[in-house]
Amino acid sequence: MHEQMLDEPWGVSPSVAFRPEPFGALAYHFGNRKLTFLKRPEMVRLVQHLAETDTVRSALQDIGIPAESHNAYVGALRGLATIDIIRPRGEVSE
Amino acid sequence: MNEDIKNEQSDLLVEDLIEEVSIDGMCGVY
Repeated sequence: MHEQMLDEPWGVSPSVAFRPEPFGALAYHFGNRKLTFLKRPEMVRLVQHLAETDTVRSALQDIGIPAESHNAYVGALRGLATIDIIRPRGEVSE
Repeated sequence: MNEDIKNEQSDLLVEDLIEEVSIDGMCGVY
């Protein structure tokens, strides 16, 4: 389940705007009006870096997330996916 | 049982990374 996402290309939904905050960022989705706190700067960098890499796994590695934390980060990404903050890459530009 | 996917995990939880808020609860703001 999480494993599958690791090898897929993902990116930020076009309906989402980020506002930098000291703890990380606020992500606001203009379509579903969901506001989400990204509570760590690494989480923000990861989300924003997704579009620049071929897979979630390489994004995690590029950002320097330790392997033992990958499950938590991927779980967070899946949470963001359920509210369309991020999407599988093929759907991002639609 | 013996899945190593399990956890040699850090203490980090999803809740430490993201938190969702619905602004529909903030009535009357807009």
